[in-house]
Amino acid sequence: MFEALISGLLMVLQWKSFLYLVIGAFIGYWVGILPGIGGGAALALMMPFIYKMTPGEAFPFLLGMHSVVQTTGDITSILFGVPGEPTTVAIILDGHAMAKKGEAGRALGAALMSALLGALIGASFLALAIPVVRPLVLSFGSPEMFMVIILGLTCISTLSGHGKGSLLLGLISAALGLIFSLVGQDRQAGILRFTFGQLYLWNGLALIPIAMGFFAIPEIIDLAVTGSSIAGALPAGKLGKGVMEGIKDTFRHFSLTLRCSLIGVFIGIMPGLGGAVAQWVSYAHATQSAKTEEERAGFGKGDVRGVIGPASANSKEGAGLLPTVGFGIPASTGTAILLGAFFLLGIVPGPDMLTKYLPLTFSLVWTVIIANILVVAASLLFINRLASMTEIRGSIIIPFILLLTFIGGYTANNHIGDLILTLASGGVGYLMVRFGFPRPPFILGFILGHLAETYFYISTTRYGVEWLYRPKVIVIFLLAVAVALYPTYQRGRLGRKEKESEVKR
Amino acid sequence: MSLAIMFVAAGVIISAVGWPFKTALFPIVVGIPLFILSTIQFLRSAFLGGKGHIKEATIDFKLSEMEDKALEKKRTITICLWILGFFFMLLLIGFPIAVPLFVFLYMKLQGKEKWGTSLLLTFIAWASFYGLFVKFCDVPFMEGWVQQGLRALRILS
Repeated sequence: MFEALISGLLMVLQWKSFLYLVIGAFIGYWVGILPGIGGGAALALMMPFIYKMTPGEAFPFLLGMHSVVQTTGDITSILFGVPGEPTTVAIILDGHAMAKKGEAGRALGAALMSALLGALIGASFLALAIPVVRPLVLSFGSPEMFMVIILGLTCISTLSGHGKGSLLLGLISAALGLIFSLVGQDRQAGILRFTFGQLYLWNGLALIPIAMGFFAIPEIIDLAVTGSSIAGALPAGKLGKGVMEGIKDTFRHFSLTLRCSLIGVFIGIMPGLGGAVAQWVSYAHATQSAKTEEERAGFGKGDVRGVIGPASANSKEGAGLLPTVGFGIPASTGTAILLGAFFLLGIVPGPDMLTKYLPLTFSLVWTVIIANILVVAASLLFINRLASMTEIRGSIIIPFILLLTFIGGYTANNHIGDLILTLASGGVGYLMVRFGFPRPPFILGFILGHLAETYFYISTTRYGVEWLYRPKVIVIFLLAVAVALYPTYQRGRLGRKEKESEVKR
Repeated sequence: MSLAIMFVAAGVIISAVGWPFKTALFPIVVGIPLFILSTIQFLRSAFLGGKGHIKEATIDFKLSEMEDKALEKKRTITICLWILGFFFMLLLIGFPIAVPLFVFLYMKLQGKEKWGTSLLLTFIAWASFYGLFVKFCDVPFMEGWVQQGLRALRILS
């Protein structure tokens, strides 16, 4: 195990891999800063570049980018009150309030250092959990793996919305994704499904054009509708002093940093919960750390603990890789797209990642660590200049994003069909956003469709219906049911509490 | 949207009925629940109206809402037309010409940028495209239909 850990580090430190890591981290830096581009969309945009890379080069590039997006997304959230990423909203409450009080430097220092510590804790968790997860994953057969996929889809369907009917929309979205994955030649019997006489569809729908159109086009439309620069009409302002003070704050409240990092780890490994949830739960926990009512009243008005808490939840980036690598179940949209990269490079996540590709798995841990250290160091050096980039006019950024979308989509098969698919996916993605259907379950269903069908087919042909009675299958199924029912239970409990408090009044 | 999904699910089930067991198993297992769920959602939307619509509850990227709905609609249509326009430009004249032409036209006509800015950014876009995708990644970009037609007519060699 230790040997694999060192091999993983040496793999990342090879000059070509390290160069790709630096390039990825550099791109991720900008993606995080620019509110117009989401981490998932950027990851999808970069997918065509990995075709000619080896896994040792492709993962430092993609993960180097993906793992730093939230770190720099916090910068925009604090400076402008505009979330750099959809997952960095919670930090605005106290971070931007601090910026308005002239403590932007302190807030940024605290946010960057907490995010770095969070990333280190998340990556360490991933490294430490591998020995525990390995025997568990190796004991899983096709029936269990199929049920894990169902659990993942249920989790993401349940948690991609809140309120009545969110589970229904999530499940519809996930099932639709599975249906889209059916297009092409069936792997079991070689029968063509939904190809409509088109040769292009024989190999199925390609992930890249779907991901490109699905994530980038709705964001382009929205950017054009707002009609302003990507950071809106907010003033850039000066960062002021206090960066060191913020860094010291992180260590003054080290216990809070640690607790919120662990919250991030827990939420990170749960498929579907996502980064935004991790930040909000951590923020809620930070407010609970206030000992008096007066102290609590200070939150939302510029309490540094309200910055440290959400920023520490950055640990979810490393921890989120665990279900992706170990079970092939992505924890978020970003890891779902990352999962696509595994398949593109001919690597099937699951047991092989913990045996045959163990050094590669550890190289992912090192990538998260090194990329975050590099980015935090660069942020502290160049933060003033970089923040001004958020003032780029929409009219300038839109054609560039659109170019990348269509060029990226086209590179999947170098076929006209890729362009049509990119455009059509953009339309479907836009309609889903407009009508309130969550996109993460769809993309997860689409990515996992082939795997789910294969596991389901093997389970059914090998065990008949008896695979349904296997103890682990039953346990995972019950877990999926519990996940599906939990929000309803939670709503009921909150409703009862509210009624009780009204009666008391 | 739910109605469209219902039709998709029904189409999947009907198609799968004619396939061998191996091929039809998974589509039916997914298609039937999808049909049921989308029917429930359609009925919810139909009978609950606005109450059945819960887009604000989705944890996903949300579209910005402007106070001036007419302007929002106009801008949405405009950008959709630009996207469609770029798509057809790619088909008609191919990537090498469409990329700089689209960037320039968008900057000049939609963005109302200055000539210098538009030309400079057009050059950057073309150079990035050519350097990164054509030279570095060696992507074989297709010819546009116009060039193909001209070649067929022997006007272009």
